[in-house]
Amino acid sequence: MNFKGQVAVVTGGATGIGRAIALKLADKGASVMIADINEEAAAQTAAEVKEVSGKSAVFVTDVTDLEACNGLVEATTELLGAVDILVNNAGIAGSAGWQTRSYSTEEDWKQTYQVNVIGMSNITAAFQPQMIKKRSGRIVNIASIAGREGRPSLPHYSASKAAVISLTQSIALELARFNITMNAICPGLLWTPMWEQIGDRYAYDMPAYEGMNPREVFDAMIAEKIPMQKEQTPEDIADTVAFFVSDDAKNITGQALNVDGGFFMR
Amino acid sequence: MDFEDKTAIVTGGAKGIGRGIALELARRGSNVVIADLDEEAAREVVAEIKSGGSQSYYCETDVTQQWSTDDMIEVTIEEFGHVDVLVNNAGVGGASGFTTRKTPSVEDWQATFDVNVYGIVNGTQSVESYMVERGYGKIVNIASVAGRGGRPGFATYAASKAAAINVSQAWAFKLAPHGINVNTVCPGLIWTPLWESIAERRKSTGQPSTGLTPRQIFQQTVSELVPLGREQTADDVGNAVAFLASDRASSITGQALNVDGGIRQN
Repeated sequence: MNFKGQVAVVTGGATGIGRAIALKLADKGASVMIADINEEAAAQTAAEVKEVSGKSAVFVTDVTDLEACNGLVEATTELLGAVDILVNNAGIAGSAGWQTRSYSTEEDWKQTYQVNVIGMSNITAAFQPQMIKKRSGRIVNIASIAGREGRPSLPHYSASKAAVISLTQSIALELARFNITMNAICPGLLWTPMWEQIGDRYAYDMPAYEGMNPREVFDAMIAEKIPMQKEQTPEDIADTVAFFVSDDAKNITGQALNVDGGFFMR
Repeated sequence: MDFEDKTAIVTGGAKGIGRGIALELARRGSNVVIADLDEEAAREVVAEIKSGGSQSYYCETDVTQQWSTDDMIEVTIEEFGHVDVLVNNAGVGGASGFTTRKTPSVEDWQATFDVNVYGIVNGTQSVESYMVERGYGKIVNIASVAGRGGRPGFATYAASKAAAINVSQAWAFKLAPHGINVNTVCPGLIWTPLWESIAERRKSTGQPSTGLTPRQIFQQTVSELVPLGREQTADDVGNAVAFLASDRASSITGQALNVDGGIRQN
């Protein structure tokens, strides 16, 4: 597996899962554009990527703004070259204050859909002309096991991730004839800044977790829900991304793969 | 390399997809035991693997017999000292002569389930206590995209492959607490001896492909069904197996991954 000479873009690439994906692709030789709304963290990750693969850049990107997405395409092409690999990883779990509410507000629904779904569509639309022109491209979308089945407490987030899986299936079919693959990964339970918020929400909202701190909620969930009895890591997700964007997976498209220690088996 | 100092067993490894899996694992450094009934073809694969620099061994195996898969594990441990990966790949399309029967016979149902389902169960049962005791093991089962949904025409095979996905989940749950991963690959359209017999069956049972050669029937099916517009290969399946059997996929269990150019979406 070797991505030498290839250009990758990772949205939400500054921190958490996105950062691990960026470093993994760099480790296999790719130049990586870190597209994130958090400029400082993005610059730090880009510096780490540079140490690994030599080439990286940062573009401050609000994925909900189609013009910013087009700007990202221009900047990537100018600084690193035409894109080969796109990883749509940027995501949020609600609007400000969502973790200490016991219900989802209209703003939670709107903002989550805006970033997780419309943002993904924007970025994909912006990059696809380049890929179509080259008759090659690899796109991986980060969904969530929350999108596999309904669960209490995070309806806006779960619905947005179900939409990500559905979007992946539709766009995969649209792009297949151009030799572009699109797949989704559904991460299970990972201890990231986002899960810290989810833990707060569960403790606030669900009697079973009342009085627990977020890490305790997280550990309790693993004990209850994960057959392998271990948390998943950003590294796990990054390894799966690397598989999907490699030649090894050239005939895989439209799939969603759970990386979740067996939480949901499909 | 992912499989240096590792030993893998591939049932049905002498021909078709099994051969592709065996060669891919060997290319990544694994010792490979070819467990098959076709000695001549198996010995050719063994020789091919050895000429590539990995170790290989033929073990005459009938996966429908528990004593035979027990023997397969014992022989492998004697030969290589350990078993790390079991790929339950052996499969059939029906009892002998199925290509000339429009309606499957009782024997066709029996043969398909004996090999495609009990074969997986037997192989898994023969190795599970060993893997549990050792605290390490990867099992990958080969099902089919045919097992993802019912369709007229070849219900014997499709049902057996759906059962293969289901038994994989059962053992994934059972073995997860021991850190053992059990996953399934669902190949799409691959030109193998099995597909040749499927095409012959369509021809001889008067399905709307009369006048075409088996290969032409296959190609027509590819152009009708595969969004990526090309056939899949045994190498593709080998690559997916190699990923799922590697430590890069240690948080993935109970999943079935379609390697089918987008025919069915999961």
